[in-house]
Amino acid sequence: MNPNIDKQEMRSYLLGNLEADRRAAIEESILCDPGVYEELLVVEEELIDQHITNNLSPSERQQFEANFLITAERQKNLRFGRLLRRYLDSQPVPISPENIPVAVRQTETPAPAKKFLPFIAGPFGRSAGIAISAAVVASIAIIAFICWVSTKKPQQRTVQEDSSQLVKVVQLAPGSQRSEGVATQRVPIPPKGFDVRLELQVTNTSFRNYKSELLRENNSLKTANELKAEPRGEQHIVPWTITGDVLRPGDYQVRLSGVVDSGQDEFIDNYSFRVIK
Amino acid sequence: MNKDWVLSQEAFDALLDWLDSDREQAGIKYEEIRARLIIIFTGRGCVDAEDLADETINRVTKRLSKIREEFTGDPTRYFFGVANKVYMEYIRRKPPQPSPFLPPDSNQAEVEFRCLEHCTDSLSEENRYLLLKYYGAEGRSKIDQRRQLAEELGIAPNALRIRAYRIRLGLQECVEKCIERSEE
Repeated sequence: MNPNIDKQEMRSYLLGNLEADRRAAIEESILCDPGVYEELLVVEEELIDQHITNNLSPSERQQFEANFLITAERQKNLRFGRLLRRYLDSQPVPISPENIPVAVRQTETPAPAKKFLPFIAGPFGRSAGIAISAAVVASIAIIAFICWVSTKKPQQRTVQEDSSQLVKVVQLAPGSQRSEGVATQRVPIPPKGFDVRLELQVTNTSFRNYKSELLRENNSLKTANELKAEPRGEQHIVPWTITGDVLRPGDYQVRLSGVVDSGQDEFIDNYSFRVIK
Repeated sequence: MNKDWVLSQEAFDALLDWLDSDREQAGIKYEEIRARLIIIFTGRGCVDAEDLADETINRVTKRLSKIREEFTGDPTRYFFGVANKVYMEYIRRKPPQPSPFLPPDSNQAEVEFRCLEHCTDSLSEENRYLLLKYYGAEGRSKIDQRRQLAEELGIAPNALRIRAYRIRLGLQECVEKCIERSEE
């Protein structure tokens, strides 16, 4: 970033109270220096947050409303800022730092090998350490390549598959395995156009396939006959995707049966959830 | 300039070719120039900054064959010069007034909130953690929390700001797409 432009000057620029010559200098930097451009966007977002949380001075607030909030784009950003604040206020305190995946902390830590592979400095000596470090680097490169390949794939998907982005996943444990006092799982009513992927936990995976039935107040709403179990970590689930528009506020039950090789059905369990507004 | 002039595919291709011989890079440069022009026009108080940016690009494109003969150097600077001219003409006209900011109605707000939930659910665990921790705190504790987070991740505070901003930007794009879909 251009060292001649500081954050305060960018704030003044965005609030429309910068002298003409300095404004021209910033404009030129915006065009020619990618660092300045991105920094300006960050400062813009910080101004929005400060406006939302009432952390602007009275004069800045007035400038924000008169000079900053003039385009539809910035109004849209303010709207998103408010939405994000509402969401953050509804969330519990973030998980403890110990729960951050190690890979994240490694990403940009200056000396990850020493921090995460303490044995390197031990009796193996320096050359062994270098060899292990090289192996770690190679592993990371392979993982990065796999991640890159996996992130490239979705771009080549068909439109139909792309629409699967609008899927709300609901994981359901069998009703009979719930401990007493555990509340029924609450599921917010999905937005229009969303599908809901019900992931039904199962322990018995020996069935040829699975049948399920969605019920509300004992009325059957949907059925499926050819569902298959798939592994999910150390467990197995039977995924069933239904259209979201079938769900209205109320209590629902999914009855899951397994089909044995002879073709007979065998009841497995019920899964309950409540759709809320 | 002839206001009826319309940017043809052929003219647009020529513009991209001028920006970079590599088509993909040219597309990126085009988007960058347009975004920067919008910021500049907005910074000058232009309500319809996007239209002015497009007008600037159209003018450059229209004169491109001549520009290619006469101008040498970074094309970005040429856009800047034309943008100044477009702006001077703009302030001579009576500029439109900004629209008042309208908050969403309750139904729309609910759709937006559900879309945001959906999009945050689809973030990676680490990005979600960073988002909640970076933007979650307010007031004095915000400064401490962000400092602590930067230390945790082993990155400089400014790198953290930019990283948080990029996650937020991606989230906003996801929410906008989700809202569009839900309105279809």
